Amino acid sequence: MMFTARMKYLVAIVLDKHVDELTKELLSLGLLHFVKFQDLQTGLEAKVSSVVLSVSTARLQEIRKRIESFLSIVKVYPGVQKQIDLDRLRRVDLEATEKSLNDLADRIQGFRERQKAIQQEILKHEDIKRQVLLFGDLKSGLQAGSQYSFLNFQIGVLAAERLGDFKAEIDAFPSVVLTFREDENAASLLVISMKRDDAQVDALLEKYGFQEAEVIPEMLGAKEEVAAAVEKKISALSAEQETLNTESQAVVAGERDRLLDLWENLRLNELYYRIQSYFSRTSRTVLFSGWVPAARQSAVEQGIRRITGGSFYLEWRSPEGLEKETRRRVNVPVQLKNPKLLSPFQMLVTNFSIPRYSTIDPTPIVAILYLVMFGLMFGDVGQGLVLFIAGLLGALFGKFKKNMKELVKLLVYCGGAAVLGGFAFGSFFGLPGIVPTLWFNFDELVASGSLPPGSPVQSLIQMLVITLYFGIGVIALGLVLNWINLIRSRQWVKLVFERTGIIGGWMYFGGVYTVYRFAQSGFKALPDGAALLLALGLPALLFIGKPVAEFVERKIHRPELPLTPLTPLRFVFEWVVELLEFFSGYLSNTLSFMRVAGLGVAHVALMLAFTKIMEMLNEAGAPAVGAAVYVVGNIFVIALEGLSAGIQSLRLNYYEFFSKYFKGSGEAYRPVSLKGT
Amino acid sequence: MAFAVQKYSFINAKLRTRLSKLLTDDFFDSLVRAHSLLDAMQLLKNTAYAPLDAVYSQTGDLKTAELELYKTEIGIFKDVENRVEGTTRAFCSALSTYYEVENLKRVVRLWFDRAVLGRDVEDSIDYLYRGIVHYDLQIDQLLAAGDYSGVREALSGTPYGAIFGECLPDIQKMNSIFAFEMALDKYYYAELLQTVENLGTRDIRIAHRLIGVEIDLLNINWVIRFKTLYKLPLAEALRYALPSGFEVDREAIARAYDQDRVGEVFDTLLKKHRGVGAMLKDQGADATARLVLIERILEYVLMREVGKLLVGYPFSVGIILAYFILKKTEIRRIMTILNAKQYGIKPEEIKSRL
Repeated sequence: MMFTARMKYLVAIVLDKHVDELTKELLSLGLLHFVKFQDLQTGLEAKVSSVVLSVSTARLQEIRKRIESFLSIVKVYPGVQKQIDLDRLRRVDLEATEKSLNDLADRIQGFRERQKAIQQEILKHEDIKRQVLLFGDLKSGLQAGSQYSFLNFQIGVLAAERLGDFKAEIDAFPSVVLTFREDENAASLLVISMKRDDAQVDALLEKYGFQEAEVIPEMLGAKEEVAAAVEKKISALSAEQETLNTESQAVVAGERDRLLDLWENLRLNELYYRIQSYFSRTSRTVLFSGWVPAARQSAVEQGIRRITGGSFYLEWRSPEGLEKETRRRVNVPVQLKNPKLLSPFQMLVTNFSIPRYSTIDPTPIVAILYLVMFGLMFGDVGQGLVLFIAGLLGALFGKFKKNMKELVKLLVYCGGAAVLGGFAFGSFFGLPGIVPTLWFNFDELVASGSLPPGSPVQSLIQMLVITLYFGIGVIALGLVLNWINLIRSRQWVKLVFERTGIIGGWMYFGGVYTVYRFAQSGFKALPDGAALLLALGLPALLFIGKPVAEFVERKIHRPELPLTPLTPLRFVFEWVVELLEFFSGYLSNTLSFMRVAGLGVAHVALMLAFTKIMEMLNEAGAPAVGAAVYVVGNIFVIALEGLSAGIQSLRLNYYEFFSKYFKGSGEAYRPVSLKGT
Repeated sequence: MAFAVQKYSFINAKLRTRLSKLLTDDFFDSLVRAHSLLDAMQLLKNTAYAPLDAVYSQTGDLKTAELELYKTEIGIFKDVENRVEGTTRAFCSALSTYYEVENLKRVVRLWFDRAVLGRDVEDSIDYLYRGIVHYDLQIDQLLAAGDYSGVREALSGTPYGAIFGECLPDIQKMNSIFAFEMALDKYYYAELLQTVENLGTRDIRIAHRLIGVEIDLLNINWVIRFKTLYKLPLAEALRYALPSGFEVDREAIARAYDQDRVGEVFDTLLKKHRGVGAMLKDQGADATARLVLIERILEYVLMREVGKLLVGYPFSVGIILAYFILKKTEIRRIMTILNAKQYGIKPEEIKSRL
């Protein structure tokens, strides 16, 4: 758990006839992080050739993604299922699959075409509405006549018994028909249609015996009725469009199982051929290579033995041995082996970078530090419980993508840390006295500026100093972790001279000691000369060894590197710059931890403000409003301060802690497997 | 410098986040390779363009979706404008005039087709943007105008009425509204460059470079149209040319106009921008092909300038301009691909048009 998992490099040679079964076995095991044998440049590349695949993995992937996009129409996301069944692997007919997908696309497109036709009707109706609304009243519209050439207004009388049929038939065109003075014999009509439909509308009017007539006064003020009638038609048309959309979704839903089956087979084929894409061959044998966690070496070996019946050749190499043989740095994939419970914190680490192979995996340490910082900044039992319950509900019932799920789980931990912080400070939704105070009363400290003697913390300055000590502890831990990393990788020069090496650590603690003594004297006197020399002077002088050692190291690799009279001067310049960077860097890193106290104070101050407002409103006789303000205040603080505390804890880990030891930019261990597709 | 940091730090952070969400070339590749419009829409579902698919799924109408995207685009730039203050806001406001001017061109073109050329434009008028960028353009009144004076009347109360009036003799003489379109471009760039003068020294330099290349592109584009469509004499073409170009001045336009000397402009640009060597394999033999190639070189120059801005000093107006150009380009590319998909154009051909 402390370091990344130990890896072994496998080179295997098997007979050609076992390739199919072996591919399935390797896929089923899901342990091999494949590497093209040729990529390692062992000198044997010329003797092998790549396997020619019968199916392109890119094409398989493309078709699979196409199926995913169809399934997303009905909100089915096959990629999130945990494991697919290898027994369902069968030969895939790409042509037939593509044809069936094209057919499905055509069917959906058919619906879209019908929706489009309706859309054009909607647009025409909107056009009618827009143009009618342009008139002051319909009289001016009628008089404008040809100027508004897109519309045609017709006024007349129609026999009452033919009215229903006429309306039904004219509905096929973008139009509005308003009826006035309707009795059992006849009705006056205002018909508004598009000019482009003149021929058909005129024919219809003639068919139903429409008699042109003079404008009647009610018509002139009917602008709003026209708009309302158009609106009604548009709503009906939109509903029709929605129905078609639903029907198109039903088509996909009907194909759901077939698509899922296709998807699964495509995915299996894709993995199967992806494995084979790493294979190289001679005339009768197949060769492949890759990385396996050392702990799973025997599982892979047994799998290969079972399939080949012992007809195989295997070579297992350590990364160090491989580097020696190839005389270059080998990129070893990194597997982090943390308990599942720590997965949210592992996400925080990998989000920064994958630790380099064989270095410290800081996940468990990050888990502790992150939660301590969060608890100090957001200590409240009530608010912590809210976060805890929200996170728990999300983790149990929420449907999230992987990273989001980890964030939700992180909320559970943060909630727990806030509850513990709340007990330490005796705070429950910002109210003191409800839960016991196990450390000191933070609310009272912020409200009055000090706490009575006997309290473990009596002033805000003391709180700041505590967070500084905490920061010094975190930085010290970072330095120790760095030394462990450097010792393991045998980088002795860096171990001594790096800014985060032994001399760096010596000078940092020397600086801390000096500041401590200075503060102890009431900021009047520094430690005596000998102590200062030992704490700061000596390590500062020794730092000049850094540019010198680096130069020597470069010179070993490039003997032509010139040593000029100016070289010592360059060492001095580099030394001065290094010292300046050292002091400014460590000072800001240490002071940065004061934000823990700062955020804690801000959290308490905000809650105090909302509690005070509630009390004032209670006194003013508005307890309901007071309660509402208090609830809203709590929600606001949980959201704002929760986010701030989360971000700041992360920031302190990333920039103050990781910068001391973390060696990132490793490549994640990604075996080709059936899991997590 | 402190002033620049204060002025641009927020918008810089905001726009950089948005820039990081711009679609990658790989994504465009898969969009181009999508089997159909439906497939392409599905791909857009997981991007900032998801509303495009939502509109298309509801209406089945790509043009309606396109109009929605246009509205969103204007909204994006109005949003940027609202997030800055003072002279930068005035500059952003002038930038969004681009949309007003382009929309007005489209409306007047439709009006001209209908009222003067007697064409049927009913299907196109439904897809016009009717919102307000700066002025209420009275789109429907304008479309319904019976004659030139009706257009002027609809545009009264906006600066475009006077511009239309000034161009009227040319419009009538040439039976085309391109004089008005050019005048609108001139107006837009003049307004924009005027606001640039109120910015800081560094901003002025950056803005002049980028806007200058945009003007070059436009001038070359017009030269192609003048030569091939309108057959204008050089003096006329020069009269319409936009000032304040970056690489292409009046002399270069004159050379580009000359069948025998267009190669000189091409060679000069190539000498200055060696990175465009890859385009040489497409080099056409005739003058028009060379002009198109010049246009592509200028597009390359524009993108290179934008790239430089993004890795350079962050607290300048450059980030706003870079975002404006990149977002506009992205939207244009998406619409080109979707339209091509609708018409069943092959991926290779789509790629060549991008």
